[in-house]
Amino acid sequence: MKQLISTILLASVALGNLWAQVPQPASEQQKPIAITGAVAHLGNGKVIENALVTFDKGKLTLVADARVVRVDLSGHEVIEANGKHLYPGLILANTELGLLEVESVRATRDYSETGDYNPNVRSIIAYNTDSELIPTLRYNGILLAQVTPKGGTISGSSSVVALDGWNWEDAAYAYDEGIHMGWVNTYQRPRWWLGETQIKKNENYEAQVREIEQFFNDAKAYANAGKPKTVNLKMEAMKGLFDGSKTLYIEASYAKDIVSGIQFAQAMGVKKIVLKGGEQAYRVADFLKENAIPVVLANVHRLPSSTDEDIDMPYKLAADLTKAGVMVVIAYDGLQSSRNLPFFAGTAAAYGLDKEQALQLITLNPAKMLGIESRAGSIEVGKDAHLILSSGDLLDMRGNNVEAAFINGKRINLDGKQQMLYQRFKEKFEQE
Amino acid sequence: MSKRLYTVCKVALLLLTLSIGAFAQETFPANGVKDSRLQVYAFTNATIYVDYQTVLQNATLIIKEGKVEQVGAGIAIPKEAIVTDLKGKTIYPSFVDPYSQYGIPAVKAERASWGGQPQLDTKTSGPFNWNEAVKAEYNAYTEFTVNPKEAENLRKAGFGAVNTFRADGLVRGSSALVSLASDRDQNVVLNERTAAHFSLDKGSSRQSYPSSMMGYIALIRQTYLDAQWYKNGGNKTFNDQSLESFNRNQSLPSIFDASDKLNLLRAAKIGSEFGVNYIIKGGGDEYQRINDVKATKASLIIPVNFPDAYDVEDPYDAMMVSLADLKHWELAPTNPSVLASNGVAFAFTASGLKDPSQYLSNIRKAVKAGLDEKTALKAMTATPAQFLRSDNTVGALRKGMLANFVVTNGNLFEDDTKIYQNWVQGKPYVLAEINEIDLSGKYNLMVGNTSYLLEISGKPGSPSAKVKVNDTTELKSTFKMSQDLLSLSFDADKEGNGKIRLSGWMVGKDLKGNGQLVNGEWINWTATYAEALKAEEKKEEKKEEEKKEELGKVIYPFTAFGNETLPKSELILIKNATIWTNEAQGIVTETDVLLKDGKISQIGKNLSSAGARVIDGTGKHLTAGIIDEHTHIAATSINDVQSVSAEVRMGDVIDSEDIDIYRQLAGGVVAGQILHGSANAIGGQSALVKYRWGLAPEQLKINGADGFIKCALGENVKQSNWGDGNTIRYPQTRMGVEQVFVDAFTRAQEYEKEWNAYNALPAKTKAATAAPRRDLELETLLEILRKKRFISCHSYVQSEINMLMKVAERFDFRINTFTHILEGYKLADKMAEHGVAASTFADWWAYKMEVREAIPYNAALMNGEGVVTAINSDDAEMARRLNQEAAKTVKYGGVSEEEAWKMVTLNPAKMLHLDNRMGSIKVGKDADVVLWSDNPLSIYAKAEKTIIDGAVYFDIEQEQAKRTALEQEKARLIQKMLDVKKAGGPTQRPAMRQKHMFHCEDVIYHSHAENLD
Repeated sequence: MKQLISTILLASVALGNLWAQVPQPASEQQKPIAITGAVAHLGNGKVIENALVTFDKGKLTLVADARVVRVDLSGHEVIEANGKHLYPGLILANTELGLLEVESVRATRDYSETGDYNPNVRSIIAYNTDSELIPTLRYNGILLAQVTPKGGTISGSSSVVALDGWNWEDAAYAYDEGIHMGWVNTYQRPRWWLGETQIKKNENYEAQVREIEQFFNDAKAYANAGKPKTVNLKMEAMKGLFDGSKTLYIEASYAKDIVSGIQFAQAMGVKKIVLKGGEQAYRVADFLKENAIPVVLANVHRLPSSTDEDIDMPYKLAADLTKAGVMVVIAYDGLQSSRNLPFFAGTAAAYGLDKEQALQLITLNPAKMLGIESRAGSIEVGKDAHLILSSGDLLDMRGNNVEAAFINGKRINLDGKQQMLYQRFKEKFEQE
Repeated sequence: MSKRLYTVCKVALLLLTLSIGAFAQETFPANGVKDSRLQVYAFTNATIYVDYQTVLQNATLIIKEGKVEQVGAGIAIPKEAIVTDLKGKTIYPSFVDPYSQYGIPAVKAERASWGGQPQLDTKTSGPFNWNEAVKAEYNAYTEFTVNPKEAENLRKAGFGAVNTFRADGLVRGSSALVSLASDRDQNVVLNERTAAHFSLDKGSSRQSYPSSMMGYIALIRQTYLDAQWYKNGGNKTFNDQSLESFNRNQSLPSIFDASDKLNLLRAAKIGSEFGVNYIIKGGGDEYQRINDVKATKASLIIPVNFPDAYDVEDPYDAMMVSLADLKHWELAPTNPSVLASNGVAFAFTASGLKDPSQYLSNIRKAVKAGLDEKTALKAMTATPAQFLRSDNTVGALRKGMLANFVVTNGNLFEDDTKIYQNWVQGKPYVLAEINEIDLSGKYNLMVGNTSYLLEISGKPGSPSAKVKVNDTTELKSTFKMSQDLLSLSFDADKEGNGKIRLSGWMVGKDLKGNGQLVNGEWINWTATYAEALKAEEKKEEKKEEEKKEELGKVIYPFTAFGNETLPKSELILIKNATIWTNEAQGIVTETDVLLKDGKISQIGKNLSSAGARVIDGTGKHLTAGIIDEHTHIAATSINDVQSVSAEVRMGDVIDSEDIDIYRQLAGGVVAGQILHGSANAIGGQSALVKYRWGLAPEQLKINGADGFIKCALGENVKQSNWGDGNTIRYPQTRMGVEQVFVDAFTRAQEYEKEWNAYNALPAKTKAATAAPRRDLELETLLEILRKKRFISCHSYVQSEINMLMKVAERFDFRINTFTHILEGYKLADKMAEHGVAASTFADWWAYKMEVREAIPYNAALMNGEGVVTAINSDDAEMARRLNQEAAKTVKYGGVSEEEAWKMVTLNPAKMLHLDNRMGSIKVGKDADVVLWSDNPLSIYAKAEKTIIDGAVYFDIEQEQAKRTALEQEKARLIQKMLDVKKAGGPTQRPAMRQKHMFHCEDVIYHSHAENLD
């Protein structure tokens, strides 16, 4: 026991110490800012080679071709960005950011509640604005995130946050916009540690589907009932799915599961549906298009799902689906490489999309999916000023070098603990 | 009663009586009066296969007291013989299965529960081996008991004797040759210790070590050495009856269970190390690597468990079946003929079949697929007997051998040939009626006063009947024949109002008997033979001339993206490319490179070479191929679990069939160090391989490369994240980790001293002194101390990094490489001073406590301090983007592009001591180069050609054609399977093999896994 306590003490001292190194949130935009001369990648597919972009009080006030428009910039803080690249802030969908600090340490895992049906648990209230991971994401251009619970059959409700804020209320950008559900798999993956090597049919498939069906039927009845005598928190949380105020995110990988999961939700009267995962979505692209189902690709830098699959299938899937008329969002499952979001889009560009289209998969498309497209996702007048300025091509590690970033017009500090440690040891070695 | 029917009855009667008593059971008291019989039989006028190659026509077989007395044509028949006329019948020796578990109780294996503690010690009581998986002391005869039901099934399949063993452990002890007579155990055990058995499956042992394929091999290897040592004096120090038995069993034939082609090669390799010619039980996939299998010169035991077709009607379900499984379904029946035509000696086994009755039918399939009948029969009889050194007992019908034989109505390998009887040790077991009566014909049937037309058709023994009234109206009927009685029932009228039931017997060609009408009235009936059936009515199916079946080709490796022909080294001239030389001249543009005889032959402008394949490199970049210092692909297993596992070798478990090899070629990777995992302070020995896709495991290894070994520090070694059960294996702290190293190297020094002392003895004294025990673990550690093997050490935090450098310095050697080394930047100066290289990740972190202070500037800082720095993968996916990972060192820390590129090419080559032949574009170095579509550090760059030793192993231009061919081949096989299903053939559910992607933290431990990364 003594040892346990000392461990806890040590851990808290260490963590406290480190959290102190998370940069302070930025203060409000004081005066209008103009960025001149940048190559502006608007996020909606358009590029302005020599752009003039201004924003004030956190909102974009002008997005124009500098060769055409002349504006008086007096009173503006002017950032000359000649030849640099301006992008809308990137949006990381489907992430445990702020709910998880160190995967192997249980005390830092807050993304998966016990039990199978948890629509009522809300990621936003566990979101840790002081996570050390946040600065590493901002450093590469990620400014908004959909904080998403995982696990169980219905994992809980996700919310969108801006990656700067004193507390979760401060950071919140869209509350409880969606509920996340893992659909039943027709096939079970092998438990390799038991020596299994074959993916096999799930013998309990139908029973599991019936169980979910019961839950949704009950939720629908509850929603229809108006004000039931006994309040059921789970059923309350589900209401939004039937009136279109919440999106149902369905996780499915295999072609059959994708179709059955989506058809199930439609039959249940769910208004807004998004597919997550979608490893075999290329086999049902027409179905997704016809039903206008957006797809969140949970990982681009992954291996093909079978030996026979095209070796570059995960890389080109975004392009294949986009070309088939499906709205694609690129995301990342886990945290370890979430900061590489721009490079996932870069890969999509290398494998079939043009770069502006690829950018859209991590800006405007997620904004639309999250219902925040009127405020974020592209550089357009009237939207919130979430902007990144990079010296080179943001989607390529050869060019990605974020020099300035703005969230709601506030210029944020891009450095974090990693930069601090770098400087510390660089200086040490330089002095030697 | 007809004479024929009488004979049948006699045989049936014999069966009853013989089950009472048989051969010499001198010691058993009789309960009643003594009832010994003469037991002499003569079988005349038969076609007799005396052995697989000697056939006698019209011959006689005489057996006496369970053994063959005489066989030949025109021999005298003893008066006391019971004579059976087998005219038109054929006698074959009963089959012998060299690989059976008949009569052996099943092994109970406990499954360890999650979170339980590891079992470090053996739980076997008695003076046996330290490791439970070594069960050399086991003898199958001690547990064997006749199992009448199983015996019956095997006899029905044609077997007369089997070699039976217990399938448990790596060293399984001895087997016994037993006959399949249903008799006392004392009578059926023909040889109580036939063969020694081995496997690559640890079986029921729950002891932690070994837990991996390379651990299994290492333990078998060490056991051979221990047994030698035990024999030569070790037995004076303690008692180990496993080793005692191991030595005793070495005089027996050794049968090694290898479940597939790669394990077969592994088993043969172990055998060659110890001068043992194993008889290897294969997996039936030998055709997939036939040249390598042939080269082992091993004798094989081959299963005939050809897979059923998959049910591929649903196209989505069909996606779950891999090309390899589809192709194996088609080609598996060709395996025996491929083995035969390559001169491989093999015996068949029924092992792996759901039902032994499939044995003969599947061998028939193999014969249809090209296996000649003589070889097939040999593999069923003579070869297994010879393997078991029992060819004077079973497998043929020469004088003095066991009277084990089957009686058929013709050629064993034809589909409609039936086995009627299987005689085992001179006892008859009737499987089907031998004298089947042909009743076919048209009869006039009179039932009481009503007349009908009766037509009997079908083969002898399986008749079917039609009853017609008024010549045309057919009445529903059933007809049965058993022994000499027949019964016929049919509807009384067309509408089916009641049934007329008849019972009767044969009188000459006619039938007669009694029966009951619908109303219960008893009547007499007769059926008078009228005429034979017309030809078409006999429904003799004309054998369609079987078309030569079209088969797909074997591909190497036998998986998607395998090649029908292996890439060959070519004369290649790459023109006008940007060359990243990694040498003093740096990056040069518009330059040509000539590859010749597997080497870089010339670099310069305007080169030409007659006959060279010219590749236009305009606008493209040519670099040395990427070398991955830290990979876990292309290996069957990764971690063993002893704190010091230096004896295990990744080179033993290379998986040449791993699709990730091909995927990484597509990412420009040409070579890698396959490292042991990080479950232990001192892990196993590395394998350095080039990704020569299609070649066999041994051919992937880089010849002449130095030896390397994995070490590890920190959380994995301490088992910090392995659950609450794993808190007893030493070490559990970083303090303990250091002590493991110090102790290991101290023991190695002592080992050296012990051997030096022994070797220094005067010849005479030495001859009289027992040699010290050879210990492969300590020998490996000694190689490290002697600077002949080099450490690549998994590490994270600065304290432990510092520690290991100090330990090495104390033992006067240097650590070669720290891998992962995420806090290397804190000690870069000390590392430079020690001379250790660093192989790290570009930006991985956040997955466990010890990576809290990992920063993506690590590589840049270490490189800046003069540490030779590389970026590695440890991950099959990231490995195909190592070029991009290298680029991150430019982003984080401002390394120059040229230096960044070296981090995945020249620098890892240096770490692996391969920079004299790999890692840069320099005349004389290996032609391991990659042509990129763009600057190789860009995310938009694609490897267009990946060349190893001058051979093109990946070509983006061929890729589309390959995919199309793959889809077409799958489509062809799916159509073929659909035809099988349509024709009513058996099918199985689709299932997909999925390979686990290993990281260095993956452990199969104690029956459960840890996958922490």
